Amino acid sequence: MLSFGLTVLLDGVSYGMILFLISVGLTVTMGLMRVVNLAHGAFAMIGGYVAGYLTQRGWDFYLAVLAAAAVTAVIGAAAERTIYRPLYRKGELAQVLLTVGFVFVATGAVSEVFGAFPYPVVLPAYLTRPIDIGFREYPAYRLFQIASGAVIALVLWLLLDNSLYGARLRAAVDNPRMARAVGINVSLLFTGTFIIGCGLAGLGGALGAGILSLEPAYALKYVVLFLVVVIVGGEGSFEGSFVAAMALGIIDTLGKYFVAQAAPYLLYTAVFALLLWRPKGLVPPRSLA
Amino acid sequence: MARLLAIITAATVLSWAGRAPADVAKVGLLADFTGAFATWGPQFQKGVEAYQALHGKTVKGLGDKPHEIQFIYRDTASQGPDKARQLAQELVLHDHVRFLCGLDLSPHAMALADISKEAKVPVVIMNAATSSITRMSPYFVRVSQTVPQDVAPLGPWAVAHGIKRVYTIVSDYAPGYDAEAYFTQTFKAAGGAIVGSARTPQQETNFSAYMERVLEAKPDALYMFQPAGSPSVAFVRAYVERGLKAAGIKLLGGGETQELFLPNFTDDIIGTVTSFHYTETNTRPANLELREQVKKMFGDKAVPDIATLAAWDGTRLIQEAVAALGTDADGLKYIDFIKGKKFDSPRGPVEIDAVERDIIQNVYIRQVEKRDGRLVNIDIDEVKMVKDPWKIDHPQKPD
Repeated sequence: MLSFGLTVLLDGVSYGMILFLISVGLTVTMGLMRVVNLAHGAFAMIGGYVAGYLTQRGWDFYLAVLAAAAVTAVIGAAAERTIYRPLYRKGELAQVLLTVGFVFVATGAVSEVFGAFPYPVVLPAYLTRPIDIGFREYPAYRLFQIASGAVIALVLWLLLDNSLYGARLRAAVDNPRMARAVGINVSLLFTGTFIIGCGLAGLGGALGAGILSLEPAYALKYVVLFLVVVIVGGEGSFEGSFVAAMALGIIDTLGKYFVAQAAPYLLYTAVFALLLWRPKGLVPPRSLA
Repeated sequence: MARLLAIITAATVLSWAGRAPADVAKVGLLADFTGAFATWGPQFQKGVEAYQALHGKTVKGLGDKPHEIQFIYRDTASQGPDKARQLAQELVLHDHVRFLCGLDLSPHAMALADISKEAKVPVVIMNAATSSITRMSPYFVRVSQTVPQDVAPLGPWAVAHGIKRVYTIVSDYAPGYDAEAYFTQTFKAAGGAIVGSARTPQQETNFSAYMERVLEAKPDALYMFQPAGSPSVAFVRAYVERGLKAAGIKLLGGGETQELFLPNFTDDIIGTVTSFHYTETNTRPANLELREQVKKMFGDKAVPDIATLAAWDGTRLIQEAVAALGTDADGLKYIDFIKGKKFDSPRGPVEIDAVERDIIQNVYIRQVEKRDGRLVNIDIDEVKMVKDPWKIDHPQKPD
């Protein structure tokens, strides 16, 4: 029983970590910068395809993942300058329409270049096998996901809560005019933050490709999950995204194990209940609370 | 002067139109070329084009009269049965097609039952695998397969080869239920025991929790029915990652291991046993002809799948029917011609059931192996001339 409990916990946590890795970028763009960015899944998808393309051509997996994050960040930078910037002051409808359009363009492009079939990221052999973790054999890939997710969460937490950059970003989001008045370059800060968010999405897409399979429909299929994580966590709250991603990962895994038939409904029922309980999210950011 | 030119032009165009071969039979092919099911359309088209490139677009009718068979492709865009019905109506009313064909998904085929009867247009179904479809219209004929037909031979084969306890996991949609029902029924009848079963959401890619359940049940084999694409790839990955393969639990399936999809899998898929109506590596002359033609036209990596196969056979039947009956015969005459036809398909010998208008064919038990560095299916057994078992279980009521 203990062994089973630990297994389900590990499964849930590894799934949650992937959700967190990808969603945390959306927390930045949607939560902090208030852009309804439905194209976030497209950035994750691009990262995944870059990693897949490179590993299939013999690149080292870790190098390919970093390259995926970098390429996605560059595309994010270009998109921010050309597509997103004019949107910051427009209403939400304009943001929804334009970012959904971006999703369709990305889906069509990926399907044209890479085909409609699922696209694999080639893992190093030792990550594809189960390894002995004391009480059972467990997939090494999942442990790797948990570890990388934990490291990135820690780095982000240090960066946002304990660095000057984090303090400036929070100030700029809460009150842009005041931030400008004290000499913060808000526009540059937002561009930089948006790029980081896209890079994280690409990283998550590459690392998570073993659970969230790469295919042209990726961008639309999973964006709902990412939005749910951000909303349930509390818009703009990193701690919240982390807690929400873990909770949803574990609830989904438990559901599949015990009530396989009802699992899809269970997840959304849980989201419904969580939002009724805490409409502003599990851990609303301090500035909003 | 300008006026004169216009008249001359008009006269030229008219005389050209008059000279064009009037005797063309148009065939409307409906399939998903875009959207979630976008892989079907192009694979059908390859089958049609390969057949016509090799055997010609024009057939000789009575008295050596040439009839041209012209395919018109329409994209149902993964938008469901309403779209299929609308496009079929346009093809019948506007393009005056003599045949409809294609139809990757069952709901699309079902949506054409009324149109086919009203317009008396024969419909050659090239995939849509729900058993009951051919009973919905006397104008329907199927050259593909049914789910029970592919699945039913696997249960007895498993028992005969030492597999006594099986866990089934199928995708949560109608073909999944059919597969579950027919595997379970035939496996139990042969003396096997089902030790557990699950149905997974249609687009599932996170199978870890289901695999845990299977590990606990310790079956001899795991039977899967998953849609081609990311679900089946993720399924096999979870099966290996969770140590099921290492624990000696065999993997059984069906269409998941088509050669077209095998490059998406890792070598972990080796050893998977599936039952299916087409093994791409078979060396029958008709299959070598198909494979060679497809590679010649669409590149070395192009592989015929069941869509290409059915389109190839379907085109053949349509062209033979037009050759025999001309371009404006009554719809039911064409169907009567196709009924009872026996021929050598690239998959092996086939027969169109004269009563049910459905295909009777061999079902092959294959195993995934690596040959010359490529993953392929290799036949290890076959069951000859299988009729759709659902039709045997559900005898037709006399009118």
